[in-house]
Amino acid sequence: MRHFVIVGILIIIASVLIYIGLDSAGLMPVEASAQATDIDWMWNLELIAMSFLFALIVVPLVYSLVVFRRRKGDTTDAEHMEGNTRLEIAWTIIPLFGVVAFAYLGAVNLAETRRVDPDAMIVKVRGIQWSWSFEYPAVNGISVISDELHLPKGRQVLLRMTSSDVIHSFWVPEFRVKQDLVPGRITELRITPIRDGNYKVRCAELCGTSHAYMEKPVVVSSQADFDTWMEEQTKLAEQAAATPEGHGQLLVSANGCAACHSINGASGIGPTWFGLFGSQVKLTDGSVVTADEAYITESIKAPQAKIVAGFETQLMPNYGFPDEDIADIVAYIKTIK
Amino acid sequence: MVHNTQENKTLLGQGVLIFIYLAVLTGLEFFIAISFQSVPLLIVVALVKAALVVYYYMHVYKLNLEAEVDDEAYDYKAGTNRLGLWLFLISDSFVFAGLMAMRVNLLGLTRPQLNQFLGLGVTAVLLISSFFMNRGEALMHNGDRQGFLRNTAITFLLGLGFLLGVVIIEWHTIPAIAETVLHLFGEPAGVEPLKPTSGVAGAAFFMMTGMHAFHVLSGLILLGIVWNNGRKGFYDEKQYPVEAVAVYWHFVDVVWIFFYPALYLIGTVIK
Amino acid sequence: MSMSKTHPVWTGLLLLVIGGAIGYGIGLGLDLLISGALNFNGSVSAAFALLLAVTFFFFGVYGYRGITRGLVFQVIGTLLGALFVTGIRALVGSDTIFGSFLFSEPAWVFGAFVGDVSFVFGVGVMSDWMKWARGIDTPEHHEDEPGWEKYFGVSLDHKVIGIQYTVTALVLIAIGGTFAMIFRTELAQSQLQFLTTTFKLFNQTGPQFYNTLMSLHGIIMIISILLGVSGIMNYVVPLLVGAHDMAFPRLNAFAYWVAVPASVLMLLSLVLGGFDTGWTGYPPLSARAPVGMQMFFLGVFTAGWSSILGSANVIATVIRMRAKGMTAMRLPIFVWASIATSIIALTATQLIGLSFQLVMFQRLFGMGFFDAAKGGNPVLFQHLFWFYSHPAVYVFVLPGLGVISELLPVFARKPLFGYRWIAMSSLGIALVGFTVWAHHMFTSGMNEYLRVPFMYSTLLVAVPTGVKFFSWVATLWGGKIETPTPMLFVLGAIIVFLLGGITGPPNAAIALDLHLHDTYWVVGHFHDTIFGGFIFPFFAAIYYWFPKATGRRMNEFWGKVHFWMMTPSFLVLTFGMMRVGLLGMRRRIADYDPALGFDTTHLIMTIAGFLIFFSVLIFFINLFHSISHGEKAEGNIWNSRSPEWQVPSPMPVHNYDVPFVVVGEPYDYGLADSKYVEFSPNGSKHPEFPPVREAGKYH
Repeated sequence: MRHFVIVGILIIIASVLIYIGLDSAGLMPVEASAQATDIDWMWNLELIAMSFLFALIVVPLVYSLVVFRRRKGDTTDAEHMEGNTRLEIAWTIIPLFGVVAFAYLGAVNLAETRRVDPDAMIVKVRGIQWSWSFEYPAVNGISVISDELHLPKGRQVLLRMTSSDVIHSFWVPEFRVKQDLVPGRITELRITPIRDGNYKVRCAELCGTSHAYMEKPVVVSSQADFDTWMEEQTKLAEQAAATPEGHGQLLVSANGCAACHSINGASGIGPTWFGLFGSQVKLTDGSVVTADEAYITESIKAPQAKIVAGFETQLMPNYGFPDEDIADIVAYIKTIK
Repeated sequence: MVHNTQENKTLLGQGVLIFIYLAVLTGLEFFIAISFQSVPLLIVVALVKAALVVYYYMHVYKLNLEAEVDDEAYDYKAGTNRLGLWLFLISDSFVFAGLMAMRVNLLGLTRPQLNQFLGLGVTAVLLISSFFMNRGEALMHNGDRQGFLRNTAITFLLGLGFLLGVVIIEWHTIPAIAETVLHLFGEPAGVEPLKPTSGVAGAAFFMMTGMHAFHVLSGLILLGIVWNNGRKGFYDEKQYPVEAVAVYWHFVDVVWIFFYPALYLIGTVIK
Repeated sequence: MSMSKTHPVWTGLLLLVIGGAIGYGIGLGLDLLISGALNFNGSVSAAFALLLAVTFFFFGVYGYRGITRGLVFQVIGTLLGALFVTGIRALVGSDTIFGSFLFSEPAWVFGAFVGDVSFVFGVGVMSDWMKWARGIDTPEHHEDEPGWEKYFGVSLDHKVIGIQYTVTALVLIAIGGTFAMIFRTELAQSQLQFLTTTFKLFNQTGPQFYNTLMSLHGIIMIISILLGVSGIMNYVVPLLVGAHDMAFPRLNAFAYWVAVPASVLMLLSLVLGGFDTGWTGYPPLSARAPVGMQMFFLGVFTAGWSSILGSANVIATVIRMRAKGMTAMRLPIFVWASIATSIIALTATQLIGLSFQLVMFQRLFGMGFFDAAKGGNPVLFQHLFWFYSHPAVYVFVLPGLGVISELLPVFARKPLFGYRWIAMSSLGIALVGFTVWAHHMFTSGMNEYLRVPFMYSTLLVAVPTGVKFFSWVATLWGGKIETPTPMLFVLGAIIVFLLGGITGPPNAAIALDLHLHDTYWVVGHFHDTIFGGFIFPFFAAIYYWFPKATGRRMNEFWGKVHFWMMTPSFLVLTFGMMRVGLLGMRRRIADYDPALGFDTTHLIMTIAGFLIFFSVLIFFINLFHSISHGEKAEGNIWNSRSPEWQVPSPMPVHNYDVPFVVVGEPYDYGLADSKYVEFSPNGSKHPEFPPVREAGKYH
């Protein structure tokens, strides 16, 4: 009987110590969204459960190893105890109620995170190997498409997302919530930022070679700062749309070309664009061509027609751009030197 | 093998009776499909047909789960083999269940455009083959080797007919033959035949009929083996292989009992 | 006949090098012929090198028979199949007769399939069945040759097959573990150190190669678990139920041998361009991955046959071949675990085969199952895939949990507490386990409300699992506990599996899962559950039953070193994983942002990984050394009540020359004068077996 009392006390002490230890270990990122606050409440509940369950099993186990060890020279067996039906019913029914309660709390918690704000700002998100593009609500017919996600604090944003190629997943750890981007359908995610800061959205579903680097900045600021940024971006969009190179640069940013093609000469998955126009390019079949407009145009329209030597392992997909867009992109590439 | 003649007659008669039920039910489901399209009713009819085949043709009641172990006795070993075969069939049915789930997810309440008479025709051929398989198995059980060989040969030919009907005509692999036969079945000219690449309808159709056809083919091979060995008298005493092949053949029929309405009968046509 | 007087392994290794070099040369030459380029670190040369190296190795060790003959048939079959398709493409006037890796993708797939089938014919496991098809009878039993040679060819003895499975599983663990060490080294520091974009091997850059290694680590380990599970079940189940073999010995041999070409295909995927999807193979990414993807799909498909056929065998054996008096509630608890495991493996496995088959056909024939452009549904794949892959994890752990239940009474000298409840809990876990699959898909875009029932069913699995834990603690409580190496691993299993189990519910809570999904938290969770549910019990089972198989013990000191080196390292590893996961580290990435501050933790994790690696190396050395030099252990060294320990070790060829009858409960330790089994003194029922041993002498 005293064994039970000792073990009982030890379990309580162990649970508390483990919980305190885990809770103070700073295991979660800062809470930067309303959803994060809800989710961290659930996490805390789980921490309590985990601490308790761990202690509940490990304490009696270790206690048994110490106290109920075979004494030297004792070759007899232990007490013949086969079971205790009441105990077995108890440790089936109580956990059953426990899990149902947890599931219920989990459902309630889910509902909290899915609260709909009818006034939410809608941002269209596109995931593409290996970049993000965000399209903001149009102002005077001009849509801003940026590779950065700017959000005003305190206002819910509804992300309407799709993928252009394979499955990706939108995740900002500080916001907690995550949602896959699936080609052929639109998935939604609602986030209410509550904390200013510079975060990163990183793809959370393996999407190929550069999955590790599929990240873009997420900036949460005051409504005023956000509005200022939007105005700048709208103006830039207007200006850029006016010139072929500007439009080309917008297209490049929206379609994630930089995931493979650097503009500063750095090596990457694809050939760099720095100084590309007019240069001599060596192909896999050994021939050398000049990177003129025709060559660059063909490389976008039919990427497999000519492959640069050393880049056979990662083949560029066909984006299906219309000819005018390709011309603008070529115009932009010409400016990179 | 000494058998009661009364028992013999009953077994054969039962085979005929069950076939009549199956034929009537097939006609019924065809009628339901072309008239008032009730999905629950079609599912129920398929389940009843399947139950009839599983109980009477596949005689699932012969499964004995007891373990009064008598390792050496032929009957005991046959019983263990019987269990093994049923376990394999349970496993295999998960493949077809998965294919069905795929069809429901991708097509929902639509279905591919297919020739109904061809569908009814190949279904009938397969059902009739099951009838002859059951007959052959019953005759072998009665000690009638020649009867077994005859009926198994008919089963084989009908099975082959089903296979060719699906693989050549339904799949349009030899357009000349396919078009001729379909024309006979009243198919209007100029209908674009379904291809594996024709969207999800084509993909689902070809995968389902393809997997089924693969099982029909393997069933034909097994029928050939058993026919050949039966001819040499190997199953006069030790008859389990005959039962095994028959049960496998009926299983393939049961799968079609579900695939036929799923592909031909249930849902509205998509182009 | 053995090839030389030197130890066969040296001959094998020498021939491995020679074969690899010849294959490399042939592949290089063919590649040059078709592609016009000399690809020294390319895929074709590597593929040929791999195939010939493996074949020549076994030729050196074993000569041209058994496994060698199987491999020769596989290589030839692969080439013939590939050439056949290539020939057809040439005849039909296809514009791509060849592909980026010599043969086109359809040629490689068909070739690999033909090679798969050819292997089983070559190894000789089809010969009896082929004879039966021609109406020729074969003898019931086949006598095996004495010594180590029987393990390299077809044997119908479940004990030999069990050891074949176990050794193959250990080989795969070594390979999968080596891959992990390679990418753990890369991960020790942020930014890419050696798997960079300029690194190139087997037509993959560094990050691509990382993805391949990581993906293969996953699937190779999973297959090693399936084989290890089959190994324990095959060896032990007939012994526990008193049968002389499994119900279908030839099917048993087939189920083993089919896993060998499957493993070859897995390794082939490494060199044929690799694949970048993880073992989960989600389309659309898997629909556009290199040819290695198809080798992976086909390899898993083949390994699935092993699992399915093996489980049918276990179920039939337990139902039809038990000793007299062995009623359901007197079955050894491991047998209950085996039944529950086999029910899952028999049925659910077909779904992963189907899901992979659909992607294979999408790639080969353009059938748009998962192609959104053709109206397909990428999420459908996930449903089909996880419908198997979740129950699969219970296939991984139920046998191990059965081992824990089986061994605890022996080392606590106390009955298994609540035997009936534990037996039923295995079935309960198996059944409920079929209803939870979509908890892997909470972020997938599946119907949002449908997620809630899956949360309930997922949490429900905790109830039968909890029954096990409480029963284990109750078994130990009040016992007289000893801790030799097998028991250490059992205790380690309980603690590690507990960690895995309690880190599960956070994933079940949907909103919280939105944070945890696809992070290292999940990686920590499943490493805990897998090590606790399989790896630790697997080691326990080997240390425990090794004397039964060989008549010798493994070294106790080095066994303890293995345990004490492995366990704390493993705990550190998984705590590290969970920590970085919570703080934002995603899964399946070759590189991570230094600004996240994970570098120190990753370094510690890599060191822990290496300690685990070395502890397992110590285990391997202990294992192979003890086979011929271990301390002799021919009796009931664990003082177990179980029937297999009532006969001398090593286990006689036909198991129980004198059949036993069950006269009591399996775990009545502490009940005076109680016996579980009694060997009938009336002589053997099998006249062709050796004469009757002295009955009833051993306990």
